Amino acid sequence: MRAQQDTVLSEILPPEERVIESVVARYQRVAPAVTRFARTISGNEHLHVRLGSQAASGPGEIVVDPGLFQAAYSRRAPVTPSEVALASALHEVVHLVATDLEEHRAMPREWFPDDFEGDLPEDPVPLLDALAEAGGPAGQALFFSLEDARQESQLFTGYEGARSVLADLYLASVPEALEQARPLGQFALGAFLLTGRYLTRKQVQKRVDPHVAAAIDDAMPFIKAASNSTDTWEVAGIALQLLQIARLHGLAFDVQPTETIGESEEKSKEQADDIQDGVDSLRLITPILADADGYDQTQRTGESVAAEQGRKGDTDEAGDPSTDQLLLVSEAPTVYLPTGQSGKLIVGGVPDRFRHFRLEGHRALVDAARTWGVGQRHVSGELYPLFLANQRRGLRSGYDAGDLSPHAALLLGAGLYERMFERRAISTRRSYAVSLLVDASASMLQPRHLEDARRAPWAMAAATLGAWTLARLADELQIEFEVALFNRAFAAAVDDSEQSYSKRLHAATAGLRQTRGGAADRLSRTVNHYLVKSFDDPWRRSEDVLAGLFYTAMEPRQAAIAARREPNRTPPVSMFEKAANVDEFNVSHAAERLAARRANTRVLVVLADGMTRGSVENLSKAVETVEHSGTTVLGIGIGDPTVQAAYSRNQVVEQPDALAKAMVDGVREALHRTLAELGSGTWWEHGSQRALYSANTRSA
Amino acid sequence: MAETITFEDPSGEGKPVELEAFSLPRNTPDRAQRAERIPKPDPFYVDLGMLYRMAQLERVRRDHFTEVPLHLALRGHMGTGKDHDLEQFAALLRLPYYRVPLTGEVRDITLIGSVKLYGDDKGGTESRWEDGDITRALRGPSLINLSELNAAGAETLFALHGLLDRYQALGLPTGETVPLRQDVRVFGTMNPTDLRDYAGTQTLNKAFADRWVIWEKSFPTEEQLAAMLERRYPDMGTKFVELIARLAAEVNTSFTSLDTATRVETPMSLRTVLDRLPAGLRIYEEADDPLIRAWDEFVLPHVDPYDRDHYSTVWSAVARKGPAGPVFS
Repeated sequence: MRAQQDTVLSEILPPEERVIESVVARYQRVAPAVTRFARTISGNEHLHVRLGSQAASGPGEIVVDPGLFQAAYSRRAPVTPSEVALASALHEVVHLVATDLEEHRAMPREWFPDDFEGDLPEDPVPLLDALAEAGGPAGQALFFSLEDARQESQLFTGYEGARSVLADLYLASVPEALEQARPLGQFALGAFLLTGRYLTRKQVQKRVDPHVAAAIDDAMPFIKAASNSTDTWEVAGIALQLLQIARLHGLAFDVQPTETIGESEEKSKEQADDIQDGVDSLRLITPILADADGYDQTQRTGESVAAEQGRKGDTDEAGDPSTDQLLLVSEAPTVYLPTGQSGKLIVGGVPDRFRHFRLEGHRALVDAARTWGVGQRHVSGELYPLFLANQRRGLRSGYDAGDLSPHAALLLGAGLYERMFERRAISTRRSYAVSLLVDASASMLQPRHLEDARRAPWAMAAATLGAWTLARLADELQIEFEVALFNRAFAAAVDDSEQSYSKRLHAATAGLRQTRGGAADRLSRTVNHYLVKSFDDPWRRSEDVLAGLFYTAMEPRQAAIAARREPNRTPPVSMFEKAANVDEFNVSHAAERLAARRANTRVLVVLADGMTRGSVENLSKAVETVEHSGTTVLGIGIGDPTVQAAYSRNQVVEQPDALAKAMVDGVREALHRTLAELGSGTWWEHGSQRALYSANTRSA
Repeated sequence: MAETITFEDPSGEGKPVELEAFSLPRNTPDRAQRAERIPKPDPFYVDLGMLYRMAQLERVRRDHFTEVPLHLALRGHMGTGKDHDLEQFAALLRLPYYRVPLTGEVRDITLIGSVKLYGDDKGGTESRWEDGDITRALRGPSLINLSELNAAGAETLFALHGLLDRYQALGLPTGETVPLRQDVRVFGTMNPTDLRDYAGTQTLNKAFADRWVIWEKSFPTEEQLAAMLERRYPDMGTKFVELIARLAAEVNTSFTSLDTATRVETPMSLRTVLDRLPAGLRIYEEADDPLIRAWDEFVLPHVDPYDRDHYSTVWSAVARKGPAGPVFS
């Protein structure tokens, strides 16, 4: 009976901690040490250990399939998640490093019955061929389980901690495994536990059927020899002898003279299944020692990996696309919401190739600004003197004594100052920071109604124009500024082209479907947060990329045609997939980054066109928390009233000119407000009833 | 008659080396002071072969290199026991031991000496020469350990060139020449120069390096660590000895890994293995798991935060749980 203080893994680990990306994340923490151990065990200081979708063992490199680790987390054993991460990884690495059955030898005559009259080939043959000939599938199955235990018994020497975790994992499964195993399976299971020194002979015999216990008595000398052997051919010979002992005790059927070859083979396969089922219900299965097919497959994959070496490519650089995607997700930051929920967010730069459309983008920006009446010059020109005057001198208004601003009359007249004197404050140009977060789902590229009854894809274009205008304004006023896009799709890399993106998308999705089944969609369609311009990037570096993005948004069809013509040169325009977004993770993450700037005035503008895939309640609480931290959050909804429920400062817009104005004027008003130190009694509190740009209209 | 010391080869391969110990001449001006600087043999010291090798070098020097001095520098990571080896060699040869740290802050006047002002008891001052650390050591029998050789500034090294080459003397600014006596031995120690965090170290100046015999001093092996622990703590349980030695050997293998992706930047030094961990075991002797308590309190605080995962993985792989007590019998 379990002690009260002992907990078992399956009880303490919630389901979300057992998903593959969590398993991989835990592996990443032990990977450096495991790789070092693998190098020591193999005696190869240059051994490369990496993750892949298929286990492989080649010269100089082994590939570990993280899916194999996952199974270990479901055991009801008294172990911790980090112990399982280590033991399962080291287990896999040890077997991949140590298993080599390629030595050819002449078939040993002693493997065959005394009355065997056939001719044995004189030429050396591989071990598995010889074993298949002498023992059939049952002989092979018993050999693989003995070899598995032998390696663990010998190669975990010095790593007794990891070995004790393995033992706990195995022993937790012993009762159920023995209960379900047939007699031959029990015998094989006993041989495995004894060869691996996980249990003593008495402990095994107490747990198995009496006639199996008797067979184990006879098998003990052979099991000890297998445990100490360093020769795989010797272990194979012992497996055949154990099979013979099982036959003598009636645990396995012997070949009858009356049987046909087909009947004998069928019987041997059944016995192999008994052995394998018994042992597999207990051990951590490693493909290279699962069975002959598994061994061949692992070796073949290893050879193809080795053949790839020497040329720069996926194999050299990282794993296959599906493993890369898995690593990307597992290494992504986890965003925690005020409601206690959490999720992974893939954060990266927007593909740089969008600058490929820069010329078309710049032309289109000028046209759109004219059409939609967004006067960037006018906007900054109006505020510039006020900002400059204040910020250069580091002065703040609102005092009855102090310095007299040269602009005092103007500011008092405009109602921006309530008191005419200023005093020196610590605030500098770094006191303002603006972050713009734009929904980049494909629906933002869908045609929408215009005032003249035409339909055009204006939502993302107008948002990008607003971002462009704000960026220029902020650059001119030397205000810290960033632009980020967010969507839910297969994540694009910063160096992706349309071709590489599509290739990765298809390869990773197919690979994940094959290896991760139901989890493939979650792993390939991630919540992504792309930084177009970070706070630290100079505007001129991002200008062309944003222009290219604007062109893609304004002319999505033309961009798609260009991408089809020159897929290796154009940006990944297909990254804008139609899928519902998860706004709250992005809002929380952007706000965190914004807060880290330590600016006095922080404004976060979120622009979305619809319902979040998460919940409005979560979004609302996330926004509320950000507001409490001192950041002003403006929610602008494009043809969708969700923002009214989620954002206390919000506006719904229906036309492109209204959208661009709302963004620019909303930020401008927030800055105005802090400039004038009007406190909280501004129209932002009535944002839902009044147009965001009404204040600007009034002041203009 | 001078005492004869026999140095045995711990590997059992080489012949024993016999050396006569040095003696302090009666006319040595600071004889009493020097006598106090002769280290006492450490009863817990385990010679891993370094003393024997140094004795071999000393034998050759006495027999064949009387005109050209041979100076030995030991290069090894922190906590490998370089200074302890030199101190014990001095103890056996009965030589006063002078350890002179050559940090970047040490200037040549600190080592060689300088003119200082003193009151003349008449209301005025007079200037007098005062020996620096090395000069003082050179004036009588001594084993000088120039510690952290590759942290020394260029001016310091240049000042020592003459002492270390065929000239065999230190020229003072006063015009005096202090010769390298036949009963003075100059040794040095240094950390390897790589990307590790040995603040202030640099690749040794080639001209300076050429004046030394340089030997590598690596971390003790698992067996050697176990032998050291057994010598120092004969009452410590065998399982504890074995596990501590194993943990240290594994961590230090990771420390010396050439691949930055798989190595740790903090080794388990001899001080950790022989002093801190056993101290922790004494304190937590009554705890459920004394070793993990000692590990948490006396080892991990020395480990860089980014190495913690690696240390934890080594702990889990090698030990997972400490042995059952008692720690000391």
